[in-house]
Amino acid sequence: MKNQRLLSQARDHFDWALFLGAALLAVIGVVNLYSATSVSRDALREVYVQQVYWLVFGGIIATLVAAIDYRHYERLGYALYGFGIVLLVLVFILGRDIRGSSRWINIGSFSLQPSEFMKLFLIIALAKYLHDDPKSEGRTLKDLAVPALIVAVPMVLVLKQPDLGTALILGLIFVSICALTRIAWRSLLTLAVSGAVLVPLVWTYVLKDYQKSRITVFLNPEANILGTGWHAHHARVAIGNGGLFGQGFMRGTQNQFLFLPDQHSDFPFAVFAEDWGFAGCVLLVLLYGFLCAWSIRIAATAKDRFGAVLAIGVGSLVFWHAFFNLGMVTGILPVVGVTLPLFSYGGSSVLTVLIGVGLLMNVSMRRFYVSPARGSLLGG
Amino acid sequence: LSELLVPRTDVGEFRRRFKWMALVAFLAFGAVLVRLFQLQVLEGAANAATAHENIIHRVLIPTTRGVIHDREGKVLASSRPAYDLYVVPGRVMRSARPLHPGRLAEPDDITDTWPRIADVLRLNPEERARFDAKLHGACTTDEDKSPCWRPVLVREDLARDVVAELKQHENEMSGAEVVRVPVRYYPWKNLGAHAIGYVSEIDAETLARVRPPGFDKLPESEQQKLNPLRYENGDIVGATGVEHAWESYLRGQRGWEERVIDARGHYRTGPEADRLKDPSSKQDPIPGRDVRLTLDIELEQSIEKAMRVQRAGAVVVVEVRTGRLLAMYSKPDFDPNDVSGGGGHERLRQTVSRLHEDPLMPTLDKTTSGSFQPGSTFKPFAALAALEERKLDPDDTERCDGLLVFGRRVFHCTHVHGRVNMHEAIAESCNVYFIKVAEAVGMDPIAKVAEEFGLGEKTGLGVNPEAAGRIPTRSFYALRFPGRFYQGYTMNSAIGEGATTVTPLQLALAYAALGNGGTLYSPELVRAVETGDGAIVQDFAPRVRRKVNVKQENLARVNDALYGVVNEMKGTAFPARDPGLDVAGKTGTAQSAPVAGADKDPRMADWYRANHAWFAAYAPAKAPEIAVALLVEHGGAGPTVAAPIAMQIVREYERLTAQRAGKPGPPPKPKPTPLAVRTTPAPPPPAP
Repeated sequence: MKNQRLLSQARDHFDWALFLGAALLAVIGVVNLYSATSVSRDALREVYVQQVYWLVFGGIIATLVAAIDYRHYERLGYALYGFGIVLLVLVFILGRDIRGSSRWINIGSFSLQPSEFMKLFLIIALAKYLHDDPKSEGRTLKDLAVPALIVAVPMVLVLKQPDLGTALILGLIFVSICALTRIAWRSLLTLAVSGAVLVPLVWTYVLKDYQKSRITVFLNPEANILGTGWHAHHARVAIGNGGLFGQGFMRGTQNQFLFLPDQHSDFPFAVFAEDWGFAGCVLLVLLYGFLCAWSIRIAATAKDRFGAVLAIGVGSLVFWHAFFNLGMVTGILPVVGVTLPLFSYGGSSVLTVLIGVGLLMNVSMRRFYVSPARGSLLGG
Repeated sequence: LSELLVPRTDVGEFRRRFKWMALVAFLAFGAVLVRLFQLQVLEGAANAATAHENIIHRVLIPTTRGVIHDREGKVLASSRPAYDLYVVPGRVMRSARPLHPGRLAEPDDITDTWPRIADVLRLNPEERARFDAKLHGACTTDEDKSPCWRPVLVREDLARDVVAELKQHENEMSGAEVVRVPVRYYPWKNLGAHAIGYVSEIDAETLARVRPPGFDKLPESEQQKLNPLRYENGDIVGATGVEHAWESYLRGQRGWEERVIDARGHYRTGPEADRLKDPSSKQDPIPGRDVRLTLDIELEQSIEKAMRVQRAGAVVVVEVRTGRLLAMYSKPDFDPNDVSGGGGHERLRQTVSRLHEDPLMPTLDKTTSGSFQPGSTFKPFAALAALEERKLDPDDTERCDGLLVFGRRVFHCTHVHGRVNMHEAIAESCNVYFIKVAEAVGMDPIAKVAEEFGLGEKTGLGVNPEAAGRIPTRSFYALRFPGRFYQGYTMNSAIGEGATTVTPLQLALAYAALGNGGTLYSPELVRAVETGDGAIVQDFAPRVRRKVNVKQENLARVNDALYGVVNEMKGTAFPARDPGLDVAGKTGTAQSAPVAGADKDPRMADWYRANHAWFAAYAPAKAPEIAVALLVEHGGAGPTVAAPIAMQIVREYERLTAQRAGKPGPPPKPKPTPLAVRTTPAPPPPAP
């Protein structure tokens, strides 16, 4: 009886648009991954199968995440955040060094990237903080000090790995969530001025040489076609080679002849653009745009502050990932190693995005409750 | 449980922000779309072109250089494969590579293969140490572009058994690569080297001329004009001889085709790759044309044998009725294999410096590039001038006392001839008679006849740089030695001394013209141009340069005297006479000008002081087929040194001709009689 009611509720309240949007992206992503890695001769050739496994696994986790009322996460908010920090610290102890940075922890034959999950833990922690701290007046810098601390700890840890891209995303999620709140004008001004002072300091003392060179190459790409600019240059040529309707599935020559670097992790969009052309790209960008717009809609209809911040947090996660990756590949932003949600290969990344979608689903499904829930842990 | 769940909270604070966030997302994705539109639609064509350039590589297809044959079809120059060994330092000497912490060593990544390779090559300890140091030095880093990965040339032109051994143990020698390169091959080695020539790598100066900076960006027609033979860096080009002069025929034309290439530099094949290239966009290579020479390499071989004891000299054998050259022999010579890259760069370097230092200049083709005083071989032309000018009766005699005093100068004769007429003066080579001829006729009429016969004038052979020689005239002396004209100049002009010089080729052609009744031919070294399967592309007919303007009766008189030189008891060449042969000719013994630097080597000083020995002839005397001009530099007297060699060459010619026609050759030459020894005239005294 009760189960039947639950099921029918789930059916009535299920967010089909969100589900279809995410599912479509995942399918296109796997198909594209197949094209992107078909040229490899090594183990890379099989990564699309791995990606499917991750998607299935992620789908199951996301269903569970969506099934448990998100208000339970609110309660566990800081505990989850703490768990994430511990994982980040563990990276330095157990981490595996790949291409000069340690980002992974091995569990059996899998390697997890805690910094990916940290994004979700950060969103939950920030959501909890804002949930508990309603303000009718504009927030001052003092009010923002604690959230800033919440983001600063994982950012510093991630920068230590070093992983500029993830640190950037963490920061941008924080900025997006802050943008949701009302901030006093004086505080904004102070922030802008201190930012102007900090940027040169960060450039001089924090960034590594290879990170700096990526930015200088972005600002003057033609100067160094064979060096760091090589990736960016070939990605642009491949995208342009797609033309209006593309070369056709698995026929993009620049990918097939290995001119694209990291075609499965950072540059899958270049493969997609070459195969499917401008027409395909419009569809893909619209899909990401839709996901972002839909999370804003979910946030706007959320019944509590926690849900709203959660939705905006996940939405901003997808948005910044998509925007930075597309911007990087098309050459309007510097080369920063940021994955394209559901397009790039990677278990941690796929899990993170799918859990995020589960959270969105969670918030979306529970916007219909008029009264506080009673009794059931499963959101009755 | 409901107590556990938080109460709903006020979301009013956020409400006004959502629209702005949507706007930011809209603008951001809008910017991406605009950028995509720019890249894919506006700049799509340009990007597609760049993408096409990335994957299409124009590959040159090598052509094969034409073969050079002799008149009988024997191969004089062709190409053979040579095998060079390269090693990649980082792969043959892995221990030299820097160690990276944490890099996993692969099982087969540990042992060095270099010691094994060095063993197979049988490198001596010194060489081995040198390469050890070189390979070690290359691997200070092992990044992608480090010299650690650049192949190093270890040995050129490996012996066949070494190649076989390397191939057999390929698995134990990873990092070694045997590269096959074509090398020009001259199976007859030194024989005919000057005429055939040799090849070498294109030099920087020529390359800069045919491929100036920016050449690749010029339009096709401009490129064609500048560089019609499509030379590239490292190309092999003909350097001398026929290889050089007939380069445009021999070279062939490289083809090219488009290949699909990936970013790692690997060529891709298969239908997927074929789809991407334009099938019409290719050009097949055109193989070089074969060139058939007029030379007879076996005759050349006989000449080499006949000249073996001599240190330096030149021989030209020409067909009397065609002007085709049967032999062009110049001594000392060289092995064109050594200077054409066979045996490697090291041998090339050594050979070139050795040839360069040799005072006898082995690379100089003396048949065309060397001019010498013809001595008495010039007398027939002086005699013809006298007959044409009707300045004296050939039957009148002059008295020879063995010398002629003229002012403060003394002209010597070989011996006291007594009274001689023109016939005897030629047959017995009397200088005194001809000095009187010169006085009677004058310098310019003699020069006129000599020039009619092509002496002192380039023959236009077109192979190797040609010396003009010189037949002096009064105006020459007026220009060269202004002031007083000495009668001595005129006297020298009749006996082929003084300023008179000719090349052996000119002399052979002039004697051919004497023998054939006055037709001077242009010399020909190339008989035909053929395709690889023997079809004739271009055939070269004999070319008459001119009919010599002398009366037949005068010519007959001189020819009669030339017959006497060999066949009359008192003829200068009679001791060298071969009863089985029918030869008419003239000996010559020319005073040689002092050679600069001759004193440097005392052992050579005597040799340098000796006279040049000449013999110019045609045979058979009744129906001439060939003319021979033979010079033995500093060989001594023409009759004793040059004439016997020339006889031997004529005999060899007869033998080869008969052998090829299936007939018996000339009868064997009898042993020299004591008489012949006794009548050998002494060499003339050195020049005053």
